[in-house]
Amino acid sequence: MSTITVLGLVLFVLMTIIGGKTGATAFLSLIFNFGLLFLAVVLISWGFPAMGVSLVIGTIILAFTIFFGEDNELAAKTAYIAALIVMVALILVIFPVEHWIMAQGFSLEDSEDLEGMSLTIGVSFVGVAVTEAILSTLGAIAEASIAIAAGLSEIIEQYPHVTTARLYIDGISIGKQIIGTTFNTLFFGFFGGFLALFIWFSGLHYSFGSVINNKIFVAEVLMVLFSLIGVILTVPVTTWVMTLEHRHTAKQQD
Amino acid sequence: MKQQVKRHWGLWLTIIVVVLGLIGVGLTRWDAPLYQQTVAKVTQVHAINRNSSTDEFQNKDVTYQQAVTVRVLNHRHQGQTYQIRNTYTKSGAMDQAYRVGDQVFVRVPATKSSSVTIQGLKRDTALAFVAWLALALLLLIMRFSGLMALLSVTLNAVLFYGAIQLDLMTNGGHLYSLFGVLAVIFAVLTLWLVQGFSRQMLVTLGATVAGTGIAVIISLIVFAVTHERGVTYEAMQYVTQVPRPLFLVETVLGSLGAVMDESTDIVASLFQLKQERPDIAPNQVFRSGLQIGHSIMGPLINVLFLIFMADTFAMTLLYLRNGNNWGYTFSMNMSLGMVQSLISGIGIVLAIPVASWLASRLLPGQEAAV
Repeated sequence: MSTITVLGLVLFVLMTIIGGKTGATAFLSLIFNFGLLFLAVVLISWGFPAMGVSLVIGTIILAFTIFFGEDNELAAKTAYIAALIVMVALILVIFPVEHWIMAQGFSLEDSEDLEGMSLTIGVSFVGVAVTEAILSTLGAIAEASIAIAAGLSEIIEQYPHVTTARLYIDGISIGKQIIGTTFNTLFFGFFGGFLALFIWFSGLHYSFGSVINNKIFVAEVLMVLFSLIGVILTVPVTTWVMTLEHRHTAKQQD
Repeated sequence: MKQQVKRHWGLWLTIIVVVLGLIGVGLTRWDAPLYQQTVAKVTQVHAINRNSSTDEFQNKDVTYQQAVTVRVLNHRHQGQTYQIRNTYTKSGAMDQAYRVGDQVFVRVPATKSSSVTIQGLKRDTALAFVAWLALALLLLIMRFSGLMALLSVTLNAVLFYGAIQLDLMTNGGHLYSLFGVLAVIFAVLTLWLVQGFSRQMLVTLGATVAGTGIAVIISLIVFAVTHERGVTYEAMQYVTQVPRPLFLVETVLGSLGAVMDESTDIVASLFQLKQERPDIAPNQVFRSGLQIGHSIMGPLINVLFLIFMADTFAMTLLYLRNGNNWGYTFSMNMSLGMVQSLISGIGIVLAIPVASWLASRLLPGQEAAV
């Protein structure tokens, strides 16, 4: 058996032992998400527009991640709506920025990997960069929106008559608690993976000026920043959606 | 009343910082003198011609040529204008069109015989703008907590830079010990900044280190048993040192933040639980920890998975359009990211029982009962 299969089995067994049914479904969502990611690349390679593909696939990935991980219906629904709003807002930032900064495709550092390849493949790499950026932020958005929605729905459960203003303050305060650790998840997630590139930059004595204008470095830092913006926006947006839901149910009960 | 004044002050200070930041972003349009490279501004562009092409895999693309007029902004050739011919493709994998107003790096050769070439776009203004946007939102919504998060990330970046310098000095010889120690320092520093130095922080630290450590040991066993079949180290990008240790270190660092994130959540909730119900039994605490972990682990593994995989998109696409089949494309581009995600996932899952167990045994008040 290949290493990936065995590692996958180990992860599945561990998730099932420790997480029970939730763990098993979470593993399932991971597999679905992989399938969706691969599908996204294949669709783009068949000539579908990158923007449309990222919107559709993004919507589905968020659904799998949020509804498979969270049991509380109110929390999951709120988190999903909020995550969708944030995704659309982020696309409005990502799309113009990627067209401005032009950090798409490959750089001179990739030359070795590109040997013998035809680069004139007729697919817009700026579009691909937009897709990459959107998809890489989705996990962080989903995680933050679930954390805040779950926290708030617990507060509503315990104090059904909590006021909207109070709920808003609580939402931001939960956000403050998670923002520090989420930053670290993103920071290490992105930069840990690019250790080799940074060793390359330092080893070949790139100047500070060349690093901050380097295509690959810029593309990578952009992804971190987009994810950060996504997570920060998720805090007020999720809280806002939750207050709407809360007011709605309160009205129904009257 | 006093409180209100103070709050207004905070808001005004934030707004001032944000506005100053935006001015700073604007100033990067005039930072050419700070660069060693020659910087020029595109003043005029006109299209010369276009050619349609079809490659051996029937991919249709268009190649354009444009004449770009640039005016040099710094150093020896300041004020001089050059006309440069730029060739770019519609897909733009390695090239791009230039627009009026773009700032670019150019190389002006010493001899007149060779021509001036564009080396690349100057991206600092756009990058600074996005960084400003993120920081402004952070400060406006999170205020002080945002600053602390920022401080921790900055300190970690400095450490990261230092470790890379050390690694280069030793030529990659002590990669494992160097970055192993670094990972622990990262964890101590970050948790200390988030939680302060306390028993809670020590428990979180223990859970982070143990969870990650066990995940690495399990992975190494799996590697040994399966002889690393399907782990294509040769497909690793930007490698200037031995790839295998580099890959393992990347994996550990990549998952470290997520494991800390999760351990912090679990341990903090359990300490709060203990405070609310001081008479709760350790086994009950342990079970509550597992319960909290259930809902965190799925989304967290997905965060890292999407980060690791999104990076491989452009190359995967290129492989597919160059007539490679799905299996080969996957193994050359996505398999490493997959292995990384799985190892991180194992670490994230294992940290749950470790954090819950440590918290249940080391909660304050335990000694009094003994």
